[in-house]
Amino acid sequence: MLRRYETIFITHPELSEEDHTELEKKLRSTITAMKGDAIKLEDWGSRKLGYEIGRNSRGRYFLLDYLAGSDLVREIERNLRLNEQVLKFQTVKVTDRVSPETAKTLKMEAPGEKVVKVIERPSTLDEKMKADDEKAESQEGEGK
Amino acid sequence: MKPPIKKKRSFQRRKVCVFCADSAMKIDYKDIKTLSHFITERAKILPRRISGNCAKHQRDLTTAIKRARNIALLPFSIVSS
Repeated sequence: MLRRYETIFITHPELSEEDHTELEKKLRSTITAMKGDAIKLEDWGSRKLGYEIGRNSRGRYFLLDYLAGSDLVREIERNLRLNEQVLKFQTVKVTDRVSPETAKTLKMEAPGEKVVKVIERPSTLDEKMKADDEKAESQEGEGK
Repeated sequence: MKPPIKKKRSFQRRKVCVFCADSAMKIDYKDIKTLSHFITERAKILPRRISGNCAKHQRDLTTAIKRARNIALLPFSIVSS
């Protein structure tokens, strides 16, 4: 049974295009080789770090969302550890035991090989505020 | 004669956990915007007695903030100069 994991990794802010493609290829091939499934790879771009990591105050964030067994996670983390461009990484288990059906639907909706660029992550707070605004507006309309 | 000491008894509205009040709000360690509402200027986690969160959500929040810190989305501390 596969589990769904997400790994965030921070690379050097000035990651060259070659290193980027090489790293991506490496990750994708490991996932396919070890019978996992990549759902998506997000590129958050260069962001300011919460604290300095090896004299870097900025870093480029990537988020890899995938289905895997524990051996694959270990392999991915080993790869990231060996790569000098990678400053830091963290893997979080999103869901335990993904049924084959959900895995299929997840794969269907997945952007596949494409790298999703994320400028700003959607915040639940923004959605809440927007919903509140709409509510206020509709109430105003009723008042009239 | 000394005037009687006025007892400070400021009435406090009972705070409700924002995450319980609105089920649409989710706690995610990647969502720094929401998390940053629950940390102080020095980047410490805001205690429950201030934020009014319920135990369950405070617990989830704490893990989320710690995860965010680990991957440098949030600082561990901010030292004022």
